[in-house]
Amino acid sequence: MSAPPIPAASPVRRIALLGNPNTGKTTLFNRLCGLRSKTANFPGSTVESHVGICACGTSDLEVVDLPGTYSLQLELPESRLCTDCIEGRVPGCGPTAMLVVIDATTLQRNLPLAASVLQRSRPTVIALTMGDIAHQRGIFIDVESLSRLLGCRVVRASGRTGEGIAELTAELEEAAERGLLGETHSPVAGLPAGSTDSREVASWARRVAALVSAQEPQGRLAAQAADARADRFDALLTHPVIGLVTFLGVMALLFTAIFWLAEFPMNAIDELFRVVGGGIDDLLPNGLLQDLLRDGVVAGIAGVVVFLPQIVLLFFLLALLEDSGYLARAALAVDRVMRRFGLPGQAFVPLLSSHACALPGIMATRLIPDRRDRLAAILVAPFMSCSARVPVYVLLTALLFPDRPGAAALAFIGCYLLGALAGMTSAALARRTILRGASRPMMLELPPYRVPSIRTAALAAADRGGVFLRNAGGIILAISLVMWWLQAFPRAAPMAEDTPPDVLLRAQHEGSFAGTIGHVVEPVFAPLGFDWQISVGVMNSFLAREVFVSSMKVLVNAGPSDSDVDVGTVAAMGRATRADGAPLFTPATSLSLLVFYVLAMQCLPTLAVTKRETGSWKWPALQLGWMSLVAWMAAWAAHAIAVGAGLP
Amino acid sequence: MPVSGGDCKVRVVASSSSVPLSQLPRGTRARIPCSALDALGERERCLLEAMGFSESCCVRVCRSGSPCIVQIDQTRFGLAREVSERILVTPLVD
Repeated sequence: MSAPPIPAASPVRRIALLGNPNTGKTTLFNRLCGLRSKTANFPGSTVESHVGICACGTSDLEVVDLPGTYSLQLELPESRLCTDCIEGRVPGCGPTAMLVVIDATTLQRNLPLAASVLQRSRPTVIALTMGDIAHQRGIFIDVESLSRLLGCRVVRASGRTGEGIAELTAELEEAAERGLLGETHSPVAGLPAGSTDSREVASWARRVAALVSAQEPQGRLAAQAADARADRFDALLTHPVIGLVTFLGVMALLFTAIFWLAEFPMNAIDELFRVVGGGIDDLLPNGLLQDLLRDGVVAGIAGVVVFLPQIVLLFFLLALLEDSGYLARAALAVDRVMRRFGLPGQAFVPLLSSHACALPGIMATRLIPDRRDRLAAILVAPFMSCSARVPVYVLLTALLFPDRPGAAALAFIGCYLLGALAGMTSAALARRTILRGASRPMMLELPPYRVPSIRTAALAAADRGGVFLRNAGGIILAISLVMWWLQAFPRAAPMAEDTPPDVLLRAQHEGSFAGTIGHVVEPVFAPLGFDWQISVGVMNSFLAREVFVSSMKVLVNAGPSDSDVDVGTVAAMGRATRADGAPLFTPATSLSLLVFYVLAMQCLPTLAVTKRETGSWKWPALQLGWMSLVAWMAAWAAHAIAVGAGLP
Repeated sequence: MPVSGGDCKVRVVASSSSVPLSQLPRGTRARIPCSALDALGERERCLLEAMGFSESCCVRVCRSGSPCIVQIDQTRFGLAREVSERILVTPLVD
């Protein structure tokens, strides 16, 4: 078989990195490229890859870390991307040489993928990883013989320790040079040319593994002892009760750590942008430019950057859990529960993450292998009550139960349960309608238990943070500017110089385009018990739901325009009236508003991230439409029931 | 001693009939016959073969029931019940 032509317009020395999942491939990639890498979504593929630069010799090598796959013949997105990339069908991905990662402890299972690559005749180097575990288990591999049988260089390398990296880099450089010269790989000994018969290839792999590998009796005993230990851990961590309780405990610790640790950088970011905003006030005279820079640009950038600590921390801790071998067991433990709602076990972590913030939660759905499952999880993630809803819940539960903190606390918990119930029910509905079809049943490789690599986790977290800033950040900033414009125009008529700032703000809110839209949509919200003021508050908080509190405080003259909910704020809101003098926040209205905020989308950054993760505006549009519909109907029902029960 | 690669090269005797993997108790070892994956859909069968569930491989049951955990060679796999009950294996007796 001759090598497919290398695109003429691609003079770069590009290495495609391939391997089975859990072979240490990404750790090796991180060791080769370090921070000089970025996430890549190649055209036509929904699967993510990484591209990095590896410094070596005379010039750099570009390394494409393709997704882990067990075979190039599978009808799976990751398998198709690998095949398309190797065969030069993906622009910007055609390799000059190949690097295949093989786990030394599972040589026989890894060889068929290597054979598929070698049959495509590109210059290839094999990296033999997991040498430390192989050593513990007394597994010996004759590298020279393996190299001779495969007809390519085989190098022992470890991404964790850096062992063999210099030799591997030199071999890759040489293979890339040969690739540029158009050299091809000689046929593999003992493997019929072009054979794709899985049984024939498996038989060849068995013969090769038997020829080049051996296990010492002492190592076999050590392996049996390690297996017995792993059996005990597995029995506990995947137990229907103990496994679930352990998982909930680990998740509680994870999110406590995220809330606690992220608070400091988030406060610092908040303060930094407050100082920058203040600087703009000092530097520029009052006017449009000052407003644009302070409330549009600076507030927009702050609205992006403030999410970064939670995102980076979540992915750092998740990477540690994944690398330790625990996350795969956890997915297995919760799979049965999640399947009842049409979601796989891997969806639990993203949905739980969404209780902190839907943005990292949606990004974490990449743990889910099946596309339909993943889409369902993305669609329902914003139903989970995120931290931005908390000020709204605090305000409305206090208005509902003014002197009954116990009842207010129960209502608060009810909000979280209602959100989770709506999300899981919506997922079940989606999997039976728009995302109908058999999902991939759980068939999961469980990586060995081990001490996780801090370096790998840090690089994964940095990568996720970069992806968020590069892709979602721009959209969020643009939307922030549009929302600023809607709230800043048309400008309110000039007032007397001694007019209090809150009165000026109230006039601006009421007369702006957003305010006008609030008035226009008032009939839509009237059945829910909302008047024009609440409708304006709802429209103003379309960018982010926490804005509702500050908007309402301005609209009903309840204090400065911030999101703090204190006793005075609640009392002032309680005294607020409608145009006809009737109380604004009656129990029925407060209840329907609370239900509305539990279920409504009201978060444009989430829509931006959904677009980024699904690659289409169709899904965020559906998400917005469905959540708005559910929120409106549930709020209407809550209002009708409350009124029917005799509540004012 | 060569690495078995999951092959059943130890001194064992296979029982005569195939049973679903989900029915084997913890600690049992079994051989995968050529027809082991025939009851599965094409997509699941291909994926399992690529994962190492190939003919004449030896599996050890690390956790029975649902989910089922099995080990082939040095690698463990977690399988949902709907998968493990459709994999027919031949139990081995020491």
